[in-house]
Amino acid sequence: MTDRRRINGPAGATIPPIFDDQESQEPKYSKGRSRAPNASRKMYLKTGVTPSASGSAYLEIETSATPDVSGLKLSCSVHGPRSLPRSAPFSPHIVLSTHVKYAPFATKQRRGYLRDPSERDLSIHLETALRGAIIADRWPKSGVDIIISIIEGDQDREASKLQGDEVWDMMNALSGCITVAAAALADAGIDCVDTIAGGVAALVQDAGDDSTPSIVIDPLPSDHEKVLAACCIAYMPTRDEVTNLWFRGDLPASDMDLYTTLVEKGIQASKNANRVLVNCLSETLE
Amino acid sequence: MASSQHVLLSPAELAYLHASLSLTPPIRPDGRSPTQFRPLVAETGILPGTNGSARICFADGTEAIVGVKAEVERTAQRPGEETVFLEEGGGGDGDGDDDDDEEGETGAQGDRRKGEASWVEMTVEIPGLRDDDSGTAFLSAMLSEALLADGEFVKRLWINRRFHWKLYLDIILISPPLSYPLPLLSLTTHLALLSTRLPRLKSEGDEDPFFDDDWAAAPYLFPRSSSSSATAATNTTATKQPATATRPPITLLVMAFGNNIIFDPSKEELAVADVALAVSVTSSNSSSNSSGDGENDEAASAGGRSLRLLSIRTIDPPSRLTPPGVPNAANAAYGAAAALGTQKMLEARTAETEAVEGVWRAPRGGAKRMVLGALVQKTLERGGVVDEVLDALEGVDLG
Repeated sequence: MTDRRRINGPAGATIPPIFDDQESQEPKYSKGRSRAPNASRKMYLKTGVTPSASGSAYLEIETSATPDVSGLKLSCSVHGPRSLPRSAPFSPHIVLSTHVKYAPFATKQRRGYLRDPSERDLSIHLETALRGAIIADRWPKSGVDIIISIIEGDQDREASKLQGDEVWDMMNALSGCITVAAAALADAGIDCVDTIAGGVAALVQDAGDDSTPSIVIDPLPSDHEKVLAACCIAYMPTRDEVTNLWFRGDLPASDMDLYTTLVEKGIQASKNANRVLVNCLSETLE
Repeated sequence: MASSQHVLLSPAELAYLHASLSLTPPIRPDGRSPTQFRPLVAETGILPGTNGSARICFADGTEAIVGVKAEVERTAQRPGEETVFLEEGGGGDGDGDDDDDEEGETGAQGDRRKGEASWVEMTVEIPGLRDDDSGTAFLSAMLSEALLADGEFVKRLWINRRFHWKLYLDIILISPPLSYPLPLLSLTTHLALLSTRLPRLKSEGDEDPFFDDDWAAAPYLFPRSSSSSATAATNTTATKQPATATRPPITLLVMAFGNNIIFDPSKEELAVADVALAVSVTSSNSSSNSSGDGENDEAASAGGRSLRLLSIRTIDPPSRLTPPGVPNAANAAYGAAAALGTQKMLEARTAETEAVEGVWRAPRGGAKRMVLGALVQKTLERGGVVDEVLDALEGVDLG
């Protein structure tokens, strides 16, 4: 589906120029991960940023690629619960609709104004994650819209080439989306069974030692030579339940332990995010 | 979304279905065993205008067609990498160097090939759904994710440093979606890719590609180990990598009811599922691209294949959207109206929180991680469903 309402640039693939200044003359090597394997990045979460919405939240995660530069920036607004239009068929549950949209300038490669398939895919993942958490039968005949704009993606802008790691960035974005949507839902006062938060764990191969791949929490693809597998998990700590599991990579099926550890680490990452979420929510209560 | 389309079952029917599926052993509405697939009819090479095609018809009447088309496309050159300029590639001196390199590095040929995810374009068409529907986008993302997950597949599309094949996979469901079409589409795509052939390359090095016009000489995209000698002789890819018998991925739908694990659910079964997962698996008999050689030897000696896990996605089960039943205690027709207003409210609240035997309630919350682990374990176990499906698909005549 093409965007016919706006005048867009030509579709041909051109590469943005890289200017030959002093800094970029030395080839940039990934410095490697500066955090411990079990440490998540710092996260800033605030609810109630959009007054006109019934609930809203803002999330920012630092990037460790370059210090003092923020990475992922997400803004989420929740509209509803409100009654469905008269034309809509009866629904015994709340009708959840999720929209995830990258801002056109959020990533290195410009995104169009219309949602592309990967954004639709993200919104389905988010819907799956949230539908398990919301107590949907308390609002029959009503609907809620959850709208997330990704203001800035989680990419290393210094790197000259596209590293083919957009997929792994998508996982980081999804885990942020889940956390920020949970905060916005709580701000809107929509009943949930538990606070839900997203976490990512990855099996990575580092540049220096090619001997053993290791599992890290909250990975930045630019920190590592290669990401072998990653999983994004939406987890509710009090109920000890997973509502969304998204795994991607290449693992031998005979090695179930590796997969299990990856999922466990993903749950741990989501517990880290949940601590931030609970702190933020209890701050607003005071 | 395609998985959450409306199921016309009453709460009583849903409760009955769920109860019978939670028994040990589970009783499925169509009498299948938990791991049994629906019978299917499959054929390949049905579309002469494509590079590869397949059609699968399930017994319940759902039918899908996949056509694979390939086009030669110029690879976008990125500055800073090993940029190839036309003069360099076409010049006599440079050309000679290139040829020498290739003869010297036939072993390292695999390392020089690289691919990008954008070389594969997949579209899914489901009747009754808009083409920008999120469910369709999710399905195509799931299928292409499995194909691209290991990064090995796109390397097969590499022609030389300047050109590559662009592969268009068009998946069309030609019947209305009577059940969640993921397994059907995945199996059809698998067969279509297996039957895909690309013209044999005649040019060398980084020249503009020039192909053999003899279609009979065209090698398969996925070279097979037990191929006929004529194919093997002309199959350039096969001679470079003799041991590889990797197959395209398959995606299976697995669900859990309590402690029961059920494969290939029908629409009614999916409507009462507690958890549903889509698990993508590929099989390789080669020992070149995997880390543990010992495991592969074991697998080879056991006569099996070594499976690799490519992707897992949670499917939002439509059971969350089903209407709940009303227990007798809260039902006005059974004397609940006699109670006082506040008491009735209280009872209604307990009805919301407590499960009553035989009264359907849409599942709330997620899945325990043990359940998820068991689902994946059961899918990947040796001699399990994946092996069965792959064995069955091997029986399909690839024309």
